[in-house]
Amino acid sequence: MTTKRTLSIKQRGLTNFEAVMWIFTRLSALAIYGLILVGLIGALIMGARNQMNFADVMRWAFMPNVTHVQSTDLQDLNPWASPFWKLTASALLLVAVAHGVHGLVVIADDYIAGAGARKFIRFLSIVMMISMSGIGLYLIWTS
Amino acid sequence: MEITIKIFRYDPEKDVRGHYETYVVEGDENDRVLDVLELVKGKSDGTLAFRRSCAHGVCGSDAMRINGRNHLACKTLVRDVGANITVEPVLGLKVKKDLIVDMDPFFDNYKKMLPYMINESPLPADGRERLQSPEDRARFDETTKCILCAACTTSCPSYWANGEYYGPAAIVTAHRFIFDSRDEAAGERLQILAETDGVARCHTAYNCTEACPREIKITKAIGEVKMAMITGKLD
Repeated sequence: MTTKRTLSIKQRGLTNFEAVMWIFTRLSALAIYGLILVGLIGALIMGARNQMNFADVMRWAFMPNVTHVQSTDLQDLNPWASPFWKLTASALLLVAVAHGVHGLVVIADDYIAGAGARKFIRFLSIVMMISMSGIGLYLIWTS
Repeated sequence: MEITIKIFRYDPEKDVRGHYETYVVEGDENDRVLDVLELVKGKSDGTLAFRRSCAHGVCGSDAMRINGRNHLACKTLVRDVGANITVEPVLGLKVKKDLIVDMDPFFDNYKKMLPYMINESPLPADGRERLQSPEDRARFDETTKCILCAACTTSCPSYWANGEYYGPAAIVTAHRFIFDSRDEAAGERLQILAETDGVARCHTAYNCTEACPREIKITKAIGEVKMAMITGKLD
């Protein structure tokens, strides 16, 4: 007979920031795939099949911002600039920036062992994450 | 047959950096690389330094890079690596002399995993041993085979880049106790492995699995530890 043993989140150290971020990086990758799929399906529903080329559809799917479809044959751009797409684009931006910046931190940790240097890289990464997210959100909501 | 062996040499009392020396010895294709090293030491150059003990793949003393890959010299036959052999110390640990590296950082990481049974519960009523079913024993059978030769840890690119990483061998040791139904400190070990230099440093390069002379599926074991950390299930 096999003994069943289960540990709580606290018992197994999952409250540790490093471990939480490690899981976040994996889940955020899945979220990015999901959001790209939402953009792709949304574009097809809104008429991309006949009025856009493949490159424009992909550009939209990876960042559903109306400026990415302005130069296509679309007649009405209003559905493409709705709050839903701005929210989708914002979610994609925030998740992708956090995922990417944390990925860079993990790579930096592979090469930097000193506690002080690691803190410095983390500080730079947070500054980069906040500024990139801020600029991105500004562009999404003002375009 | 004539065997040409190129060996990394470094004497800290004389050399600023290491160099290679080539020796030609008469041997047999069924000789082990360790036999060839013994021939060199016995007949050509008595100053050659390398570790060896049991010479039968059990003690794990003679892990070294043979033609660029980590092997135990006592388990590697000349016929498998050819008559032109290059032997170097393992990577990632400081060379003390010739093929001997400083194993202290490796064993420091090993010790961090609490490599001993922890069970504070009272003994069974009969006062004898804590029984375990064959199924429970089989859960961690693979990782009991580890001989701490360091072939895995010193083949890991994450460990080469950052020696603070606990390394595959330490995680294999943790695996051996985490999944042991008699042990009660799995949580403590998982908390240690949840730190910055724990399992997150493993990027599944699979070098460790290929290097292991005991054929332990190390990357799989590390994956199981990661899953235990995520799900909390130790079965």
